[in-house]
Amino acid sequence: MTKRNVSILLATLLVMAGAVIAGSGRNSSEIPAPPAIGATIEEFTLPDVDGRDHSLKSIKGKNGTVLIFISVQCPVSNAYNERMEKLAADYKSKGISVIGVNANSSEDAGAVKAHATEKGLTFTILKDPGNKLADKLGATRTPEAYFLDGNNKLLYHGRIDNSQNPAAIESSDLRTALDAALAGKPIEKTEAKAFGCTIKRA
Amino acid sequence: MRLSQIFLPVGLSILVACFAVSAQRTIGTAKLAPPATVSVNIETIDTAGLKALITKQKDKPLLVNFWATWCIPCRDEFPDLVKIDGEFRPKNLDFVTVSLDDVGDIKTLVPKFLAEMKATMPTYLLDVKDPEPAINAVDPKWQGDLPATFLYNEKGQVVFKHFGRVDSAELREAIAKLVKSH
Repeated sequence: MTKRNVSILLATLLVMAGAVIAGSGRNSSEIPAPPAIGATIEEFTLPDVDGRDHSLKSIKGKNGTVLIFISVQCPVSNAYNERMEKLAADYKSKGISVIGVNANSSEDAGAVKAHATEKGLTFTILKDPGNKLADKLGATRTPEAYFLDGNNKLLYHGRIDNSQNPAAIESSDLRTALDAALAGKPIEKTEAKAFGCTIKRA
Repeated sequence: MRLSQIFLPVGLSILVACFAVSAQRTIGTAKLAPPATVSVNIETIDTAGLKALITKQKDKPLLVNFWATWCIPCRDEFPDLVKIDGEFRPKNLDFVTVSLDDVGDIKTLVPKFLAEMKATMPTYLLDVKDPEPAINAVDPKWQGDLPATFLYNEKGQVVFKHFGRVDSAELREAIAKLVKSH
């Protein structure tokens, strides 16, 4: 083996080692801030749990799209499974698509597919390898929702509602935002926070 | 000896070690310390109480960790936090944790976990209908992702914060600087 080949091999090994270390997590300060309300979200393409690519253009509803970062393991995300499924069903006929996005590096497409089947999630779920969309949207937790209008303009960002416990819901922020947009009214609360699980970035 | 005979084993060793570290981090998530007979008193806290806790005049640095029993990285980092408490409390660090578990878990899951961790730092459980004002009271830039760790100096200024599993070495370094200057 020549000196050059040895150097290339060593450099490759070190890069791989670095990637393994980096794979254990990323500093929170490196995650970009979410886009401002009113910003237009760029077109993207991500694979679903069967590996088929979908562009935003191909999955969006005529009146808009709700992207929700979800998780297989996160109990908070799981607490919202039924609510997300109902949301998707309720707004499909109103021209708004609800799309799940799994950006957790710790949950592969097979696990996401099995989880969706087990929990009865029938809306499209995209896998976000390398957190490209999560980075673009500044998503940090599950569940975390983004509502884009028909022109991909961000109208609402944040929680689905105020409580993991359905009996304690007092503020259905996401639905309120969707209903306002459909009625052609301004959305009063464009951002709302809640506690959730950290997205496990690559 | 040829160069390849030196570099190959060294390179491979680095790679294997790194994979081992990564694997250990993953496997470590399921491990808990054996149950201990630690008496844990947990009080509820509302948004106003939380605000008062972090903004009140301090006579020593304050570390606040937000966590929940359902949060895997929170559970993973907790043993390190317990060690940090043991190490730095005698050096004048105040450390409180705030659980975001359901209020119904205040006498069950939360004290059980703290006892398993042999954690003795004061712990509060956030009892609010709407979590947003509490999140914003702590940090308007915080989106609510857990765990979250904040270190305040005696003036109540945040000198270190981290969202997600905290790097124990980084946190120790930040605390050490504070308690040293105290």
